[in-house]
Amino acid sequence: MSAQVDTALQVLEKQLNRPLVVALEACARCGLCAEACHYYLAEPSIDHVPAARGEALRRAYRAEHDFLSRIFPQWTGAEKLNEESLAKLAEMAFSQCTLCRRCAFNCPMGVDTPLMMRAVRAMATASETAPELLVMLADAAIEKGKDPSFFRDMFVEQMADLEKELQTKMGDPAARITVEREGAKILYVPLAGEHTIMPPAIIFNAVKEDWTLSIFEAANYGVFLGDVARAKQIAARIIDEAKRLGVKEVVLAECGHAYASFRWEAPNWFGETFPFKVTSLIEKLDEYVSEGRLHLDPSANPELITYHDSCNMARTGGVIEEPRRVLKAIAHNFVEMTPNRHEAYCCGGGGGLVALPEYTERRLKAGKPKADQIRKTRANIVVAACENCRLQIGEISEQYGLGVEITALADLVVKAMRLPATRPEVEKLFAGDPATVSSN
Amino acid sequence: MALLSLTQLLALLALLFAAAAFALRWRWAAQRPLADDRAPMKGSPARGVLYAFTFGMAPWAKESTRRHMIAYLRGVGFHIGIFAGLAALLTSPWWPLVPDSARWLFAFVIGFGAWLGFVGEIMRQVEHNLRALSTPDDHASVLLVSVFLATASIALINVGWLPAMYLASALMLIYAPLGKIRHCVYFFFSRRFFGLFVGRRAVIHSEATR
Amino acid sequence: MSSTVLDLKGLMCPLPVVKIANAIKKVEIGELIEATASDPGVLADIPAWARSSGNELVTMEKVEGKVIRFVVKRIR
Repeated sequence: MSAQVDTALQVLEKQLNRPLVVALEACARCGLCAEACHYYLAEPSIDHVPAARGEALRRAYRAEHDFLSRIFPQWTGAEKLNEESLAKLAEMAFSQCTLCRRCAFNCPMGVDTPLMMRAVRAMATASETAPELLVMLADAAIEKGKDPSFFRDMFVEQMADLEKELQTKMGDPAARITVEREGAKILYVPLAGEHTIMPPAIIFNAVKEDWTLSIFEAANYGVFLGDVARAKQIAARIIDEAKRLGVKEVVLAECGHAYASFRWEAPNWFGETFPFKVTSLIEKLDEYVSEGRLHLDPSANPELITYHDSCNMARTGGVIEEPRRVLKAIAHNFVEMTPNRHEAYCCGGGGGLVALPEYTERRLKAGKPKADQIRKTRANIVVAACENCRLQIGEISEQYGLGVEITALADLVVKAMRLPATRPEVEKLFAGDPATVSSN
Repeated sequence: MALLSLTQLLALLALLFAAAAFALRWRWAAQRPLADDRAPMKGSPARGVLYAFTFGMAPWAKESTRRHMIAYLRGVGFHIGIFAGLAALLTSPWWPLVPDSARWLFAFVIGFGAWLGFVGEIMRQVEHNLRALSTPDDHASVLLVSVFLATASIALINVGWLPAMYLASALMLIYAPLGKIRHCVYFFFSRRFFGLFVGRRAVIHSEATR
Repeated sequence: MSSTVLDLKGLMCPLPVVKIANAIKKVEIGELIEATASDPGVLADIPAWARSSGNELVTMEKVEGKVIRFVVKRIR
């Protein structure tokens, strides 16, 4: 047995907790899960039946742990893991499964195939057969946590520039973007890039929220690798930051996997209930809207709008009605995709797939069911509360000629706020110094 | 009479073997870790588990079962037959005390289950995905259970078939913990984990969280 | 003088890092890649990537508007 295979089997052994044992044992091979998978819908082949994916891992599991399989491997389809089957398993788990959980929800037995695929991802990561790029992105994020001093000043400087822009947009010289402010109530964790900072900053300032900005990003590539050790190091950056600042709540940017992992899994990785609440920006928006803290004009969003349920936000995270309540408050023409909520199709970009150029063709093909679903709504705008979904839907829109605009929910909320800077007469005034204008 | 006693003894020994083998499996699985869920709950785990075993099993509850309604109902009927068959087997020494009408009813339910089992095996041979997914273990499991159900159904009406039923049940019980039949035990844990997941996170009953 | 020049403007993270990581594999050790990006996330992500991957960030500067120019050198 090669060292690689040996490592993979050791990781399988470590991963083998009770839920995984049950997932490996409970499948009846009834095949009802086939059409639950967007890969199967796009390309109906046995390889894309979730039960077949589970079988690929079960073959190795049985060879190690099943009495009958050790005597008659052919009888149960058991097969000792080898380098070739490990490579195949790794490729399958990283490129043909987005961990969307749709199969688990459609299985009469409740078999958790994504749990098995995550175990495979962990085996592949440990045995160095996982996609190099995901490992690299996770390691870069860990590096940022080790010594934030190498980028902190640049980040603060950049936020000062953004704050000026914010004041102009809001027509309010008192609008602030503070970075890592001690004693703030909320720590907002964005994604890399100001597109996930400016809209929430506008909203937080508009409702006079006591908030501050994290210097880290919510994304966690360790989760995609199935590597809890890396995922913990990435999450620890935010946990330590939140504890140090003494915040009451961590609000995560519109990012599916960040929410699902930080909200539901991170407490289990660390074996502790955090001394702060973890919410998604979507839940916060719902809170502000329902409390009437935002002045919204739904006529600012006259287009036909549909909402894509990110698998991590909805099926895994339970954030389902919140975005709908917000959408109904900010737009007149909202239409549902069919199916939706916990039955929604995956867009095909989850599980880290959008970061892996080697699987682009496969990913876009698997996005066809979502593209068809969007087309049927006739919507002009697709709202998605997940960055990976937005990237993928943008690409499938181009690939399948949908011609839709893809946006985050916060962007549409800001539109419905009808900020001074979006009014032509104010824009004219703001051509000069923002401070001059706001003093008027 | 000697054949009946012999097969009865065989069935009893097989039952003891199955119980012991399942107990060993239970012990092995129970030694595996199960992390405490420390994330604050959004919904109710109890409601999730209740859903997983009730409405969540309804044919209309899932897209997969709506799409494959006949295949799903076949499976449900087969498994109802199995539970009835096991109940009949365990109570077989007291059959003479059971009214004829109840015996006929059980015979029908179990016999129907057997028929659905054989149909399932044909589907496993004919449908391309099922054929590709199946191992010899899958075929053997369906056939062993279906033969047991068929013999139990007939024996309920004609006691002359009792030795056949005991023999078929002995084979099935010995095989149960070794092969795919054991999935029936894990089913309960799998649905429970699913129920806890959707319950805690308020995925199915999302409207109820406000 | 950089042998490879990449225009990453308009790409959002993690795509600039992904593109740089792919490009660095195609140049020889010691060669430079020059890139321009508009996503401010690169200000943190590119230095972090360089550190974790063992390559060198030679320079990084803000140029006109929101454009960031940086040069990385393949070390291994």
